[in-house]
Amino acid sequence: MRWCAVSRWKRFGIPMLGILAVLLIWELVCRFGALNAYVLPPPSKVWSSFVKMLVSGELWKDIVISFLRVMKGFLIAFVLAFVLGMARILFPGSASWYEYLVQFFRHVPPLSMIPLLILWCGIGETTKIVIIVLASFFPMYLNIVKGFTGCDQKLIEVGDMFGYSKGKKFFRIILPYASADILVGMRIGLGYSWRAIIGAEMVAASTGLGHLILFAQQMSRTDKVIVGILVIGLVGYATDWLFGLLIAWLLRGSGENGWN
Amino acid sequence: MAGIELIDVHKYYQVDGRELKVLDGLCLKVPERQITVVLGQSGCGKTTLLRLVGGLENADSGEIRWEGGRKAAFVFQEPRLMPWLNVWSNVVFGLRCREIVQTRIQDIIHTVGLEGFERAYPSQLSGGMQQRVALARALACEPSFIMMDEPFAALDHFTREQMQRELLRVRETQGSSILFVTHSVDEALVLGDKIVVIEKGRVKAEYPVPLSAKDRNLLDEEMIALKKEIINDLNFAK
Repeated sequence: MRWCAVSRWKRFGIPMLGILAVLLIWELVCRFGALNAYVLPPPSKVWSSFVKMLVSGELWKDIVISFLRVMKGFLIAFVLAFVLGMARILFPGSASWYEYLVQFFRHVPPLSMIPLLILWCGIGETTKIVIIVLASFFPMYLNIVKGFTGCDQKLIEVGDMFGYSKGKKFFRIILPYASADILVGMRIGLGYSWRAIIGAEMVAASTGLGHLILFAQQMSRTDKVIVGILVIGLVGYATDWLFGLLIAWLLRGSGENGWN
Repeated sequence: MAGIELIDVHKYYQVDGRELKVLDGLCLKVPERQITVVLGQSGCGKTTLLRLVGGLENADSGEIRWEGGRKAAFVFQEPRLMPWLNVWSNVVFGLRCREIVQTRIQDIIHTVGLEGFERAYPSQLSGGMQQRVALARALACEPSFIMMDEPFAALDHFTREQMQRELLRVRETQGSSILFVTHSVDEALVLGDKIVVIEKGRVKAEYPVPLSAKDRNLLDEEMIALKKEIINDLNFAK
């Protein structure tokens, strides 16, 4: 029982104390007038704005819109990364066709593409989705390729001995072997998607969390800017936590015995 | 049932820019329904021989002729189990869904002494238990030809004896032909119907073992004499 309490304290108590300490210092700095309330509003003010925005439904709308954009871009990026990664394994010569292009675009920041994307796709949804795809594709692609190409040749030989076809070897040996890398890549890609959506919405949008922050800044509502930032962090964290649970469930057998 | 014949088989590898001759005109006949044991020092080409027969690599020249059916299974030096599958799923790995007969698979798992571990994952098993799963996986597909590359090296004395008995039983009941590679002369004498000594990629000597496996006693004069002869062959290969 005592061990359980100590473990719970270490897991939840200490991090909560850390957060409370930051909030306390923040509140004190504001109360004693060390910083102007316009530059840094106190946490109490941020909290009351948060509650008001939540009750009015304004915040929910922006969260849902941003979330849907992230999911669309993330899923498109995943399908692209998976197909290109799979092609490298099933048709080894195919990588020469696109690998240099992929590596080139990997080093181009998605935000630098915004002027061109606006020119080509306008300021509608497409531009935002493309920015998310560009941001989340590469970590997923690299992890998927690592997972597929790193498959133990000795296990593939077992498939050869049982007369497996190329496709059967892929789905029964290579894909399960790569699943841990793929899921980790997806988790990183999801984080990158959240980072990218804010940039995209700040440039050209009338809804979403990025727009909320930019609009609040133009209205000199620093409290709302902070609310927007905190909500992005919380939603991103919650999405990552849910994804972590999904990974644990999908790798339940292998995870338990330390394969990953 | 299946036997094989290797005719003048050559195999080379490129190592550090040099050509390394591994099999140098190897000729060997593996008779049907018999256990042919291959003995030899490390690097003499035993594993390469098995890989060529199993179709995992191609010979540079020569011919490997299959007699009868070609339903083959391979038990590797390492267990090579799928880490994400439990024991049961690993055992049926080589079977199509419609080929899985629950009672037969359960019998095989019982035979290799893994009853109760069906849901365990490979990393939860000892090395010896993993090797037994690999053996069960090979037996599950009812092969007519089994290739075994030092499969019992990681097992303890008692389990090894039990597995050797099981292998002899499989040969009797299923009539499988077995090509078995080992370092152990005693194991060769216990299992083999024919013992082949390989040196520098060629067959140096072949010994038919006179008695049937169940009548053998390694302490018999005849067997001791045979053992001495084989050890002499292996020592000269140094």
